[in-house]
Amino acid sequence: MRRFLLAGALATATLGHSLAAQSQSTPLPSFSPAYQPTSVDERGMWMEADEDERRLRDSPLVLRDEALNAYVRRVLCTTVGDNRCKGVRVYIVEVPAFNASMEANGTMRVWSGLLLRVQNEAELGAVLGHEFAHYELRHSLSAFKRARTATDIMSWAAVLGGLAGVNTSLLQWSVIGSFYRFNREQEEGADLLSLKYLASSPYSAAAAANLWQHIMSEHDATRVGRKRKPHQRYSAGFFDTHPTELNRATYLKEAAAKTGDSSNELAANGYRTAMANYLPRFLEAQIKLNDFGGTEYLLGQLASANGWTGDLLYARGELYRTRGNPRDLVSAAQFYGDAIKAGYTAPEARRGLGLSLLRSGQMTDGKAALDEYLRLRPDASDAKAISALMAN
Amino acid sequence: MMRSWLRGLAVAAMLLVSMPVAAQEKTGSKPGFTLRPGTARIVLMRPSIRVGSQSTGGMFEPNADWTAQARENLARALNNIQAGLGNQVIVYDESTTGEGALAAQYGNLFGAVSESVIEYQFFVGNRLETKKRKNTFEWSVGPGLANLKSLQNADYALFINTNDAYGSTGRKALQIFAAMGGIAVTSGIHVGHAGLVDLKTGELVWLNADRQMGGDVRTPEGAVKRVTQLLEGFPGKPGAAQSSGK
Repeated sequence: MRRFLLAGALATATLGHSLAAQSQSTPLPSFSPAYQPTSVDERGMWMEADEDERRLRDSPLVLRDEALNAYVRRVLCTTVGDNRCKGVRVYIVEVPAFNASMEANGTMRVWSGLLLRVQNEAELGAVLGHEFAHYELRHSLSAFKRARTATDIMSWAAVLGGLAGVNTSLLQWSVIGSFYRFNREQEEGADLLSLKYLASSPYSAAAAANLWQHIMSEHDATRVGRKRKPHQRYSAGFFDTHPTELNRATYLKEAAAKTGDSSNELAANGYRTAMANYLPRFLEAQIKLNDFGGTEYLLGQLASANGWTGDLLYARGELYRTRGNPRDLVSAAQFYGDAIKAGYTAPEARRGLGLSLLRSGQMTDGKAALDEYLRLRPDASDAKAISALMAN
Repeated sequence: MMRSWLRGLAVAAMLLVSMPVAAQEKTGSKPGFTLRPGTARIVLMRPSIRVGSQSTGGMFEPNADWTAQARENLARALNNIQAGLGNQVIVYDESTTGEGALAAQYGNLFGAVSESVIEYQFFVGNRLETKKRKNTFEWSVGPGLANLKSLQNADYALFINTNDAYGSTGRKALQIFAAMGGIAVTSGIHVGHAGLVDLKTGELVWLNADRQMGGDVRTPEGAVKRVTQLLEGFPGKPGAAQSSGK
C-alpha cells in the first residue's frame, strides 16, 4: 500500500509535544539490505506492490530520461546513504502536483510537480528521505493492520450494538479518530527519521523546514488568487492523514536545531542545472492547473535565485495570457517580448506575443509576430488556425 | 489516488450494506463469429489474478501464496480445456521486440473496453443508443494491435482477470450475528471476466463477466470449475457443435 508525503496535509496538537524527545541526534537505526517479507500480511502487500510496479514500469507517464533519473537517484543515495538506497527503484512520474510516495516493496514514485517545487538538493533529499523512512519503518504494513483492526471493531460494534439496542456511534467515531491520528503519527515519525538522514548526510538538515515554509506560502498564494483568505492551521482536522504544513515546518525546525547539524550545503546550483532541460515542460503542466496565484508565486521563487530567465518569462506570459483579462494580455505581451529579448528562441514566444497583441487590438504588430511564428514553424499543429486568424 | 481503505474508514457504515445484484447479462459475443478452422492459436496476456481474504470489516487482505497457487492452477486448467477444444494456448512473451510496454497499454485498453461492455451492453436497461439493436456486439481495441510483432504468431488474444476474497472466520461470524439482527452482510467476493480479441482486426469477439463466480481457485479442481465458468459462451469452430464452456 502506498504512502504519501502530502495527501491532505493538515495535525493534532498533541503530536507537537511528543517530538522533541525523539529528535536528539541518535544514530540511524540498523538497516537490513534485501529485506524479504515473512508474514502473510506483509507478503500479500509486497505481492500487490509488485503488481502495481509492473503497471507503473509500463506507464507512459514515467519520465525515462537516464540523466534525470540518475540525478534523482544520486540525491536519494546522498541523503540516505549508498547502502540503503541500492534496492530502491525510483520512478519519476509526470504529475504536476507536490507529492512523492513509496510502496512496501521499495518502489518510489516522485511526481514532477515535486521537482518543480523543491529549490535545491537538500530539500529534495528531505522529501525522498521521508518516503524512504516510511519504507524502512515498514509503515504500510502497520497502517494496513491498524485499518483492519479499526474496521473489525467498528463492524462488531455496529452489529452487536444493533442486537443489544445500544448506540455505538461514539465508540465508532473514537476508533475512526484513532486511525487518522495513528496515520499522522507515522508521518511525523517519517519526518523525524528523514531529518536524521539529512543530518548524517552532507546536506543541511534545516532544508526540511524551509521546504514546508514555501509550500505554505504557495498554498496561501493559491488561496489569495482564488479570492479566499490565506489560512494555515497548526492543528490537524479529524480526518487529516498528515500533520498540517505549519506543524511540520515548526517541529522540523526545532528538531533540526537539536541535531547539531552545522552543514549549510543545499546544492542549489547543481539542482537548477540538472532541472534546466525539464523546467519548461514542468512549467507548461503547472500553468494548465489554472492556479494563477500559486503559479505566480512559484515563478517568483524560481526567479529569485537566478533572475528572470527566458524560460520563466515565457511561462509567465503564458500564465497571464491564459487568465486573459484585458490587463493580463498587456502584461503577457510584455513578458513574451522580454523573453525574446532575454534570448528565448522557441517560436512559441512569437505565437503568444501575436495572440496577446491581436486580442488587445494591436493588429499590425500582432500579425507581424504571428507571421514570424509561422515562418519559424511552418508545420505547427495550429498553423491553419493561426493563418485563419491573420486573414481576418 | 490514496488507497481506498484509508478513505473507506470514513464511510465504514457502508460495510454493513449489502449491494443488490442487478439483473444483467453475463456474456456476449459477436453474432456469427466462429474461430478460424484448424488449430486456433490463442495468446494468453498476463492475467490479473488477486486472491486474498476478506477481513471482518470487509477489507481485502492480499495473500501471496493463494495468488501464486491460483496463477498456476488457472493456467493449467485453461491449457487443458482449450486443448480439449483443439486450440493452442501460448503465454504472451515480448521476446526481443521490446513491445512489453505497448502490450501492457493494450491490456489496459482492453480493461477499459470491457468495463464499457459490462456497463453499456450487459446492463440491458443501460444500453447506449448504438447498442440497442438486436444481435449487435461491436466493440474493438483498434486495428493497431495487428502491428505488434510479438503477437504475429497468434490469431487471438485472451485476457483474463479474477478477483477473489475469501470470507475470513471473523467475517463469517459477523455475518451470522448480523443475520440475527436482520442485517445482510456479504461474505467473500468472487468476480472475474475473460475476453477474446481478434488480433487481425482488434475486435472484441467475446466477453464474459461474472460477479459471483464459483470454484476455489486455490485448488486444481476448483480452478477447472472456475475456468469452465470463465469460458462460458466461448466461440466455437465453424461447423463444430457449440460445446465450449458448457
